[in-house]
Formats: sequence, structure tokens, C-alpha cells
Amino acid sequence: MGTATGIIRALNSGIKHIAMKRFTLRYPEEKLKFVGDGYQFDPSTGVGIAGLKGRHMLFHDHCTGCQLCSIACEGVAEAIAMVKVPEEQKQNKKSIMPQIDYGKCVFCGLCVDACPFYALYMTNDYELSSFSKEGLIYTPAQLQVKPYVAQDSEIQISDRGATHG
Amino acid sequence: MTFTLPPGLALQKVDERIMTLNVGPQHPGSGHMRIIVQIDGDYIVACDPDPGYVHRGEEKMAEYRNYITNIPHLERPVIHDSCNVLYPYVLGAEEILGIEVPERAKYVRVIASELNRCIYIMYWLAIYGIFLGHSTMFMWPAGDRELLIDLMEKMTGARVTHAHFVPGGVRNDLPPNFEDVCLRQVNYFEKRIKEYAAVFYDNPILISRTRDTGVLSRQDAIKYGTTGSVLRASGVDYDLRVKEPYDVYDELDVHTNVMKEGDSYARSRIPWLDMMESCNIIRQALQKMPKSGSVRTKLKPNPKGKGLNSVYKRVESGRGSLGCYIVSDGKTEPYRVKLSVPSFRNLIALPNLLRGEKLGNMPSVYWSLNYWPVEADR
Repeated sequence: MGTATGIIRALNSGIKHIAMKRFTLRYPEEKLKFVGDGYQFDPSTGVGIAGLKGRHMLFHDHCTGCQLCSIACEGVAEAIAMVKVPEEQKQNKKSIMPQIDYGKCVFCGLCVDACPFYALYMTNDYELSSFSKEGLIYTPAQLQVKPYVAQDSEIQISDRGATHG
Repeated sequence: MTFTLPPGLALQKVDERIMTLNVGPQHPGSGHMRIIVQIDGDYIVACDPDPGYVHRGEEKMAEYRNYITNIPHLERPVIHDSCNVLYPYVLGAEEILGIEVPERAKYVRVIASELNRCIYIMYWLAIYGIFLGHSTMFMWPAGDRELLIDLMEKMTGARVTHAHFVPGGVRNDLPPNFEDVCLRQVNYFEKRIKEYAAVFYDNPILISRTRDTGVLSRQDAIKYGTTGSVLRASGVDYDLRVKEPYDVYDELDVHTNVMKEGDSYARSRIPWLDMMESCNIIRQALQKMPKSGSVRTKLKPNPKGKGLNSVYKRVESGRGSLGCYIVSDGKTEPYRVKLSVPSFRNLIALPNLLRGEKLGNMPSVYWSLNYWPVEADR
């Protein structure tokens, strides 16, 4: 193949893309769709349930304050601290619950695997940025809230190429 | 003013007309490493790669964590290829802890490993494109990588560092309807990467820049101990997925791509051919995978190794054979974890390849070695 032919073929291959759809996602307006409701774990079978490893969610009525999540995190990120919960909140015997520092968390989900009481799950919330370091520390009360995550965009494949729609 | 080299480096000032040039450690053409080159005019007379800027002590860290909590940090050396970096450790830990792996988990691992290989190669290819000044080849792979990252996100819940493999299988089962989505996106992905031929691999400008530069002969490739795409580009038919099949690779039909030239062009083309082979393997694995069953053998909370024991396992990663040597002394933590990484072995060939080349060819030769600085320093 001659040099000129090769260059023309390369240009032609690029020109074809003018007719193709836009693959990129306009992020703050459109958001990705995820499978399921976040990563969860079933201690009875020892197998997790697929989902995004995002911000955690803590079920106060299930948490016994056993510290297993904190111990699991010790060798990973040391992001989980066990803190005293105020009197008015629902609490366990030990009255301690995990508080997670998202400045340290690596979102591996090993704390979820460690919880034997179905108390700690992960959710689809991934927008955790904050202007201060303190804003990244989520107290047990904040972790109790189930986040609302907009999910509208999925990869679609058509004759004119893949697109997020 | 005379330039004095730090002690321990191999280069010495030889002549007035020879200039010593530092490429890196902050130059976009080197990554987190420094290449010291001595140039005579436009030609490189000697070269000394100086890795070690991103040493994190992964091996020492592994001695203080148990077999499970080692997982998140051991996949950090190559975050784009995190499943493959973790693979030998997990295979070794299984042997030390004495765990059986369910059949379905082995197939899920193979699929995850092949998807990760493609993700890594696409990232590598994007950077290879921009090293050569080919902006299109930077944009296309970086965009098409999203198809596979989306699959990994559905499968594992994370876009890059998945922490998906554990001793005893994988962390979670595949999401519902994953097989169809995977097949559709992998097929489209394969169609897309075939389009790269016209714009990049058959492009006369690329061929003129990479053909016959940095030629590594078959004997030298074996002598230096290079692995992976570098070895296969020099005409050695060596792929661990075929030669030492692990998990279920012996049940799958794996074709090894070999080229004889041993130049930069061959080294850049082999990973691209490997991606198509990976697509084939994913399709086969999806077809042969048991449709139901467990994916993880339940572990005790703090598993212990059985007595004094050592094991060496290796897998074919995106860059070449990646080995992990684990010594256990019967405690919950491994006594020693040693990673034998392909990046470092491929780097050994660099001084030989650059001697006599033009300085302008340095980026193409250097990045064609499939080198990842963070992995080499671990």
C-alpha cells in the first residue's frame, strides 16, 4: 500500500466519525445508571450482591456495636472509627456505632463483608466531595440516610455507534 | 559547569561532545521515572533507566496484614489492571490456605481478568498514541475503554480498583442479565478496535516512525528475561495462558499472537492483537460458564496458613508474566510476599534498544516496552 493511499484511508476512517453519535456523557446533567442498589453482602452464604461500591448505609436497628467493620478496615484504610451515639438516637447495648471518614475510605467494601448482622451496606451515592476535611466524616446519623441517586443514562449500541442514552 | 551523576548509576562522562540529558522524573514522556540518556548530536550513545520514584513498599506492607486485608493494597501497583495484579496472590493464597474454588467463580475470574487486560491495553495504547503525537489515537481508546469499564463496574461495583478476587473465588455473583450486556458490548468493542487498523496500525506515518526502531532480537529477548508482548513481538511463542494454564484457561481455546520483527511496531501491534484474542476468550467463557452455582467458598474470619509453606504462582497480565511468591509460617499474616513484575523485566532491555537510536525515537521505543513505572517500583 502506498503512502498516499494509507494517509487517505486514515483520514477517511476519521471522517466517518462525523456521522457517528456522541459517546461521551454530559455528567452533571446526565448520570450513569447502576446495577442494583449498591454492594450488599449476605453473611449466611458468604457471597455478595453486585452493585456499586459507593457511600455506606448503616441500619441502626441491626448494628450491635461489635466493631468488626472497624477491625476489617484496620489493615486497609483505617477509615472507620467507633463513636458514641447520642441518647435520643436508637442505639445498641454498647451504644457505639461506626463513623466513616471518606477522606480515607478506598471503597473496597471489606467492612460490608465483615458485618454479620446485615447492618452495613453500600449505596449508589458517589458524589461525596466537600469543601472541608470535616465534611467528609460521616457520623452514624448521616450514614442512616438512604441517598437519592439520579440514574438515567445507560450505554446504548446502535448502527451509528455507542452512546449514553 | 560539570554535571556529576549520582553514585550508583552506570553512566560516566566520556567526551566533551557528549551531552547527558535527564528525561524525567516529571516529564510526560517518561512517567514516574527518569531515563538518563547520553546523546551525541541527535543520537543516543548510552542510556540508563532510573526507576524507584514511586516505591511504596507493597511487599513489606503485605507482611503486616492478613490474607484478606492484603487485597486492596496489592492491586494498587496497576490500578487499570487490578484483577491481573491480584490474580497470582489470590491463587497462591488459595493453595496456602487450602481452599477449593467453585467452577463458576473460575469462569467469572477469567472474564474479569480478560476485561481488565483490555482496559489496561487501551490505556496503554492511548498513551502510546499521544507519545507519537497522534491525538486521535489518544481520544479513541480512552473513550472506547468506557465500554469495558462499564462492564467491570456492573460486575464488581468499582470502576478501577475492583478488589473483586478473594482467596476462594470472587466477592459477588454476576448481576442479572450480565451475560447479554457483556456479549453486546464486547462485540461492539471488537468492531471498534478493528477500526484502529486504518487510522493507526496501517498508517504510513506510524509505520515510518516505529518500523526498525529499537530492534530486540529473539536471543536478546530471551537473554534479558523479557516477558509478555515484548517477548512475543520478538518471535518467541510464550504465553502463560497456554504454557501454564491456571484456573480454566486449559478448557478455553487461546491463540498466541507472535510477530518476528522485534521492533517498536511489532511491540505496539501485539497488545492490539491480544485484545481481539481477549474478546474471543470472553465469548468462550460466557458460553461455557455454569449458569448457576456458588462463586465463593466461605472462609473463616481470620484464615491461617498451614505450617511452614511457600508457593509461587504466576499469571499472564496485560504486560507479561506476573508472579507472586508467598511464604507462610502458620500465622494469619503471610511471612513474605514477593511480587515478580513484568514491567521491571521489560525495562532491562531498554538501554540495549536505545543505543544508536535517534532521541526522537525514544518515546516510541520506551513505551512500546509495555512498561508501567508504578508496578516496577511496587
